Amino acid sequence: MSARYLVRRLIQVPPAVGAILAVAFLLIHAAPGDPVLALAGEHGDAAYYSEMRARFGLDRSVPEQFAVFAANLVRFDLGTSYVHGRPAIDVISERIPSTLLLTGSAFALSTGIGIALGLFAASRVRRAGDLAVSLASLSLQATPSFWLAQLAILALGLAAGWFPIGGMTSARSSATGLAAALDVVHHLVLPAAVLAATELAVVARLMRTGLLDELAQDYIRTARAKGLSELQVLTRHALRRALIPVVTVVGSRVGHLLAGAVIVEAVFGWPGVGRLLLSSVQTRDTPIVLGIFLLIATTVILANLATDLVYARLDPRIRHG
Amino acid sequence: MGAGIAVLVVALAALADVLAPGSPFAPVGPPLSPPTTTHLLGTDDLGRDLLAGIVHGIRTSAIVAAGVAVIALPLGLAVGAAAGARPSRLDDVLMRFTEIWQVLPRFFLAVMVIALFGPGLDRIVIVLGLTSWPVLARIVRAELLSVREREFVEAARATGSSELRIVWRQMVPHALPAAVAYVAILLAQVILVESSLSFLGLGDSNQMSLGYLAGQAQRFLRVAWWLWLFPGAALIAMVLALNLLADAVNDRIRRAQ
Amino acid sequence: MLRRLSVLVWLVTLASACAPAASPLPSSASPAASPAASPSAASSAAAAGGGGTLVVAIGADPGHLNPAITTSGGTHTASELLYNGLVGLDGDLQPVPELAESWKVEDDGATYRFKLREGVTWHDGTPFTADDVKFTFEEVLLKLHSRTRASVAPALETIEVVDPLTVVFHFKQPYAPFLQQLDVTEAPIVARHVYEGSDPVENPANLEPVGTGPFTFVSYSPDEEIKLARNESYWAPGLPKLDEVIMRVMPETGSQVIALEAGEVDWIWGVPGPDEERLDADPEIELLRTDRNPGGSNCVMTISFNLDRPVLQDLRVRQAIAHAVDRQQFVDRVLFGQGRVAEAPISSGIPWAHGTSVPLPAFDVAAAAALLEDAGWKAAASGPRTASAVAGVEDGTPLKLDFLHFPAFGRYAELLRTQLAEIGVDLQLEPLEPPVFADTVFKARDFDTNIISYCNGLDPEVGVRRMFDSAQIGPVPFSNAAAYRNEEVDALFTEALGVVDRDARGEIYRRLQDLVVADQPYVWVVETTAVRAYRLPCQSFVPYAQFAEAATCAP
Repeated sequence: MSARYLVRRLIQVPPAVGAILAVAFLLIHAAPGDPVLALAGEHGDAAYYSEMRARFGLDRSVPEQFAVFAANLVRFDLGTSYVHGRPAIDVISERIPSTLLLTGSAFALSTGIGIALGLFAASRVRRAGDLAVSLASLSLQATPSFWLAQLAILALGLAAGWFPIGGMTSARSSATGLAAALDVVHHLVLPAAVLAATELAVVARLMRTGLLDELAQDYIRTARAKGLSELQVLTRHALRRALIPVVTVVGSRVGHLLAGAVIVEAVFGWPGVGRLLLSSVQTRDTPIVLGIFLLIATTVILANLATDLVYARLDPRIRHG
Repeated sequence: MGAGIAVLVVALAALADVLAPGSPFAPVGPPLSPPTTTHLLGTDDLGRDLLAGIVHGIRTSAIVAAGVAVIALPLGLAVGAAAGARPSRLDDVLMRFTEIWQVLPRFFLAVMVIALFGPGLDRIVIVLGLTSWPVLARIVRAELLSVREREFVEAARATGSSELRIVWRQMVPHALPAAVAYVAILLAQVILVESSLSFLGLGDSNQMSLGYLAGQAQRFLRVAWWLWLFPGAALIAMVLALNLLADAVNDRIRRAQ
Repeated sequence: MLRRLSVLVWLVTLASACAPAASPLPSSASPAASPAASPSAASSAAAAGGGGTLVVAIGADPGHLNPAITTSGGTHTASELLYNGLVGLDGDLQPVPELAESWKVEDDGATYRFKLREGVTWHDGTPFTADDVKFTFEEVLLKLHSRTRASVAPALETIEVVDPLTVVFHFKQPYAPFLQQLDVTEAPIVARHVYEGSDPVENPANLEPVGTGPFTFVSYSPDEEIKLARNESYWAPGLPKLDEVIMRVMPETGSQVIALEAGEVDWIWGVPGPDEERLDADPEIELLRTDRNPGGSNCVMTISFNLDRPVLQDLRVRQAIAHAVDRQQFVDRVLFGQGRVAEAPISSGIPWAHGTSVPLPAFDVAAAAALLEDAGWKAAASGPRTASAVAGVEDGTPLKLDFLHFPAFGRYAELLRTQLAEIGVDLQLEPLEPPVFADTVFKARDFDTNIISYCNGLDPEVGVRRMFDSAQIGPVPFSNAAAYRNEEVDALFTEALGVVDRDARGEIYRRLQDLVVADQPYVWVVETTAVRAYRLPCQSFVPYAQFAEAATCAP
């Protein structure tokens, strides 16, 4: 893609982040009560509140407050979480790896399986296989992730006993190295599968539509005429172009996956950012809620950016824009 | 078929009080009883009838969906029409604005609003409504863009109709199918978001909700499978219906083109 | 193409991990990472602990591990194994030596002289002395532990350190219940050399505790698990037997039961009613029933009325609500039989003090409705009652009350809402997590009604007085929530304190209960019992305090 496009796209990021900060700032000040309570949570003591007041400049004028607020947040300074007694940013970043593991696995699973299913459906278009995939996709898209999670626990955890029903590690295990990693993977299967399930329908549908569109093109007929097998036609020619729409939705998928992760972490007791968000909302620990909101929003913005850049590489029309 | 289910759901929601009179929160039967003839879908640990809970839960979902539609539709239509009717500065401003607005993660925004303002159905409706209209506006705008240079619009202009009339009478109706398709999908998402929030305990504790019922099932997964199955099934039915409806409308649009 | 996908994933990874994790992660979540695990593993091979590892499920993250600054059940459950009190309390509630080897009660109960055990050390090796006791009481318990603060603080004159192993408590008047308030639940002793000069609430030792108890602290992964190891130099010979105790945070009681049945955990603190029968029948699982809990014993689920609110100042309204509460239904539906109807303000777990001459208001919807009509709340065709000539309330106001509760007590809330709907009261539920609840109820006093599990303790002075004493109205959590003021009641409490004869004391408490029942500042609903469950071959538990001190999991 051209340098101009790259620059143009990158310039759009700061205002987006600024908008997120503005929304958060407005909400905090619109909330009932003293803004310091909203910002610092409800059960600090006088010393804690005056520290938060000073840190966020709450006795200055509103535009100045926003400047201080934005400056703090850009430096990742969210203040101290009274509930945990530590800087909020530390509490949050401790949990990131486990959520990353969960959502990353779910992303990979849903992309891989979704593409495979889409391929399968396109190759069996309008026959039984295609219909089956369509039906499955439609149902999965309509299924709430908590229902699926509970089903997984019931069927594969309780009834069959194949997988543990909660946590990231076994309580008793003092395993190290590979055994410990395998233990984590064993605990990861159900939550990641559930999280992936609701997402793969989107990928499968897009893949199928994209493939079908490509397969109708002239150059495919040429390829077929040249004597290539159906499989070769599919994978060598159509697939690349058909993947483009799949790539474009990555940004929104990241948003969905992260939202789904909150539910899945709650049901499976997975110790990640989602569970932290839930407990922080319940204890009105606002610095952490704010931090997680901003983290997620920024991740989505960056995911969208990455998607656009990759898309620009893939789509020849934009390449020279 | 999707439309059929949707109509059924709306009817159920409206008739909730008739079908299941009394509060769905009242203990009326033996605790944790499986489906029987007196309690068609079983009871929970407090002895509350699950069917009553589900019917009232459907009503809550319908209320939230309707609320969001009431906020998002007029805003989306109005702004989208204004932007798409003719080339102007407003168009550019709108596009920038909606691009930024679109990246707001809806679910997390709702969670933060609940953290700051406390739980309540009204907050959920407002947050979801205000974050949904930008995409609708874009869709309406796109539809209008494709129409505004067409012959029948030129003809209408030639006869001297006011711009407003042209937009309203000729162009907007053209955008309606796409708008309806989007709103159907939107409402499906809204229902899922509300139920997820209630499942996590962040919903309105004074309103019966399908998510709440699903959350209560967690403790009794082993002994009371009906508590897990039916609320989820109701949700799946509603969301499926809306998705099918959207698909059907989209098919119609594609065929018309 | 694969390359592109991987770039994408990397970018997303980069984005999410961008928040600087510059500070070294404390107590990492991965099982291999706790460095302190190795000493206990090594020593259990060397010494003869041999009891194996006990895995415990706890229902909530404790937040911190200092039981002296709070009465929160969560914190006490997780931390009582790390500490001791001056005495322990056996099954008959009689004091047995712990940190105190012997004691003498002098001056009819106005002076308590304790001879402390020799050779006790803190987990970091520092010797335990009488200074630790004096410091703990003066700087920590009497300021921050709500029950001890409410009962001991006003009665205590001074604490005297005679020599490093002798400490004397001087009371202004004879103080009968003192020995019942000195166990690890009511008065855990913390280290002076750790806490001196700091704010006990903020001190980082709350997350890396140093105690004298049977187990030492190894690691704490917030929201995940707490690891404890055998205290090699514990003062009780041959104890503890267990090598390691691992506490896993599992918020769902359903998951705890499943984990117990699957063998993933060995001990759970509470068995939900519907599961009790099944677990009882399981040959690998044993049950223990008790009224004593970490954080408090003899607990009564109590509804409080905020007497500062005009709506609730009319006695008839309060009595009407009391009549509308079907207490037996709570025992049946919410407790599944694990508990009793509350028959008097003081728990039946303190039999010598429990009882009133007149029974509590019986379940009588008609009587309740009549009382409300009398009080000016007229029944409406649909919906809640409306006011008509009610003092301090505008005509036509609907009878709506908010009801604050821990999310864990959600079932109580929902059942109550239904029961009160029968008499035309619209109860608005507000679930609040414990810290927020404590602030809203006690600091801000922003509530109409709420429900609290008031644990009476083992003597009415410990956990009952704070509910009724007008001096206990204030920001300390779980004090006098109703803001009840009655000079006669205050006087009776003070009188009972100085009487040593138990029967005579009981009489005074019964008179007092008659008075508070007549005033109805609270509705006493049910007395709760806990059912603990553990998995064989683990055994030799007690269902409270340092529950695993003598336990072993080796067959």
